[in-house]
Amino acid sequence: MKQDQITTGAADKRLILKARARALAQEPAAGAAQDLLEIMEFRLATETYALASAYVREVQPLKDYTPLPGLPPFVLGLINVRGQILSVVDLKKFFSLPGKSLNELDKVILIRNDSMEFGVLADAVLGTRLIPQGTLQEAPPTVTGIGAEYLKGVTKEGVIVLDAEKILDDEKIVINQKAE
Amino acid sequence: MATENEEFLKRLRATFRAEAQEHLRAISSGLMELEKTLAPELRAQVIETIFRDAHSLKGAAGSVSLKTIESLCQPVESVFSALKKQELAPGPELYQALHEAMDIITQLVEGTEEETSPQVQARAREQIKKLAGMSRKTAPPAGPSEAPPAAGRNISILPAVETQTEPRPHPGKPSMSAETVRIPAARLDPLLLQAEEMISAKMAIGQRAAELQELCRSLDLWRTESAKWKERLSAGPEWNELLEWNETRLNTLIHQTAAVTRSVEQDQRALRRMVDDHLENMKGILIFPVSSLTESFPRLVRDLARGQGKEAELVIRGAEVEIDKRVLEELKDPLIHLLRNSVDHGIKQPAERAIRNKPPLGTIILTFAANENRQLEISVSDDGAGVDAGLVRGAAVKAGLVPQKDAEKMSQDEIGAFIFSSGLSTSPIITSVSGRGLGLAIVREKVEKLGGVISMETQAQAGTTFRLLVPMTLATFRGVLVREEGQVFVLPSVNIERVLRVSREEIKTVENRETIRLDGQVLSAVRLGQALGLPVLRGNPAAADRHVQAMVVTFSGQRMAFFVDEVLDEHQVLVKNLGRQLARVRNIAGATVLSTGQVAPVLNISDLLRSALRAAASAQPAAAAENAKTGKARILVADDSITSRTLLKNILETAGYLVKTAVDGMDAVTQVRSEVFDLVVSDVDMPRLSGFELTAKIRAGKKTAGLPVVLVTALESAEDRERGIDSGANAYIVKSSFDQSDLLEVVRRLL
Repeated sequence: MKQDQITTGAADKRLILKARARALAQEPAAGAAQDLLEIMEFRLATETYALASAYVREVQPLKDYTPLPGLPPFVLGLINVRGQILSVVDLKKFFSLPGKSLNELDKVILIRNDSMEFGVLADAVLGTRLIPQGTLQEAPPTVTGIGAEYLKGVTKEGVIVLDAEKILDDEKIVINQKAE
Repeated sequence: MATENEEFLKRLRATFRAEAQEHLRAISSGLMELEKTLAPELRAQVIETIFRDAHSLKGAAGSVSLKTIESLCQPVESVFSALKKQELAPGPELYQALHEAMDIITQLVEGTEEETSPQVQARAREQIKKLAGMSRKTAPPAGPSEAPPAAGRNISILPAVETQTEPRPHPGKPSMSAETVRIPAARLDPLLLQAEEMISAKMAIGQRAAELQELCRSLDLWRTESAKWKERLSAGPEWNELLEWNETRLNTLIHQTAAVTRSVEQDQRALRRMVDDHLENMKGILIFPVSSLTESFPRLVRDLARGQGKEAELVIRGAEVEIDKRVLEELKDPLIHLLRNSVDHGIKQPAERAIRNKPPLGTIILTFAANENRQLEISVSDDGAGVDAGLVRGAAVKAGLVPQKDAEKMSQDEIGAFIFSSGLSTSPIITSVSGRGLGLAIVREKVEKLGGVISMETQAQAGTTFRLLVPMTLATFRGVLVREEGQVFVLPSVNIERVLRVSREEIKTVENRETIRLDGQVLSAVRLGQALGLPVLRGNPAAADRHVQAMVVTFSGQRMAFFVDEVLDEHQVLVKNLGRQLARVRNIAGATVLSTGQVAPVLNISDLLRSALRAAASAQPAAAAENAKTGKARILVADDSITSRTLLKNILETAGYLVKTAVDGMDAVTQVRSEVFDLVVSDVDMPRLSGFELTAKIRAGKKTAGLPVVLVTALESAEDRERGIDSGANAYIVKSSFDQSDLLEVVRRLL
């Protein structure tokens, strides 16, 4: 079991390195720059996901967090990032994905846009790389279990690229409770 | 290169926006001034100001090539030029046209409307034509060169010498001297945050100093202990040498540690002073005159009143008082709400006012004053109809807040307090716009969140006054740290009356609720964890103790005891918000960073008491126990149309309610009598028994009399609404205006 994971990791790494090499080797042809998308890849349970790096503020190790009573399960709790308090979202629970609970969940990817900011839980952050936008394929919903509206697509390697903007702007992710 | 220019233009436009807003505010409040009857000199002064502002705005818009704004400013400027020369007699249409032009410009400036949208272009063109026509119409033929729009350009050559000593007769705007620096407030905000962040550093170093003192004590103890051993032991010379060497080393270490401790303590004192001073000064920088908030209010009141066929004028006093920008921002909504309230409920139609011998024009007075305790006193008074005590009593009884017999005995003060209760509205029924009884409760919540208080005085037919007392700066406060079910929470010290230990025998159960006696008074008591819905830890060591730690919490007249596992400490606490994703979390007001770096939630006492009451109430009876277990409210949906029924059921279930359905009024009556529901949502038009009849039957039933009923209907007539009120429904939602959030909002409020 452990062995499997390690080999997958190694294979992933090779893929990443290869892709990086490819990306670096490419002549920066005019116009081509616009077609490239920088993504940050991370692992959640057994799947590899990615987000456009433009939305990533930073990655933090998850050392300690404070749960809050009465919140839906997809909100893990609060963390302190240099004095700023931020909430952390478990995307697996938000998308109601099935998954083993033996994951490490020891990284938080802080994502933001103009109107929203929160952390996203990850088991491991694999790094960033450039992919040509055109190569993203539409994912059949059965493959991911995530609604198509949250997806940008799937890379050739099968990495599920999430639409960070959609997730950040989703009203369902905002908690606004009334007094009892 | 092109992109660089675009970038520059973008930046320029941001600057323009800030500037334009200032001009717009000045023009708008100037216009409001003009509509009053002013002394001629004052009048000339105001016209001059507006003229200049319009002119500057035009120039600024031109420089960032916002052509529509520029061309709209042109006729405005011409109109004022004509007014200045008294070539034009002002009238209501003129003011209206000017206000409309300002509206279009405001929308364009704020970016709510695209400059290029053909609709705006058309509106702007029309407005330009209208204004240009007006400025020309009454202009005498002698000065034709001044009136036509093209002539506006020449005006810029007007002598720029300020004739008045005051640059602008603008309330509260301090004159800019050469030593003033203009910095966008947005750039100061992070500085203030950083200054506040230093409180954590200050507390951390205090912690370190305490740890070092502890270390010194341990070392001292070591020396004393080993000295005792030395006397008892008689060993060889080598041993003695070793012991002496150790002793010397230990003494050096003790001295060094003591020295470090002293320096740390000195540093701590210095740092504490610096941080406190720095924070105080930072807070002093971010102060704004109240006028920056109130400038739009006179217009708001005027427009609101006109929309309802009323006449009202707002008089603002003390707008020059300066307070913390963040307090000011938090005051905006409550003040707007109170003004709206005065127009909606206080000021009546001119005809009705005439009967009471009042002038047709209603007056609302908004006063700001700083008192010696660094608090801001605000009052909002109107000369309207006052609050009808009978209506409040009736509404309080209907909302189940007070029994009928007590209601009759309620004093003026108690009635005043009820006004601020959530769910109480004197408006006879909930409609899509008002009467949800949320308004004043929200006002109170906001004011209390700032650490302020609100009260109301009213006299029938003479008027109503709301008084607010808020701190002028957002302050750190003292908080009590408690541990419950393994988690740490902070409660504001002001709300903690006392902390005590209660033996288990002293906890008595009265009517299924736990209570303790305190100073001869019986207080209901709840476990904090239960109120918050925390999971119960197994093998909690505190549970085995014969004594229980309790806190007496007070909040706007209510008192309640909470049991906690442990009361840890009292600290200076800086409350931060929970981040953008957590807009509002029940029972939680914010969070604070402890000196250990750990985040602790700060509890919202107002919410907590409500949750506690609910937890205490739902703890018992068999039928209710089931609800408490699932935590879901049970709703009965009655509708004869399967489509509507399914739709309603889905909406409510998605929102987390347990829903049962009835096919008509009769079916609903049967179900309501045999099962326990928390709320009924019913259609009006149903065979066998209509929604009105159903409501009446529910009200007549002994067990069900208090059950909230929401009528959902396709009928939209005042008559039906009246019937709804008469039958005793709590809310009446018209399907045409019916969207999910509307229904859910109403349901949430009634539960």
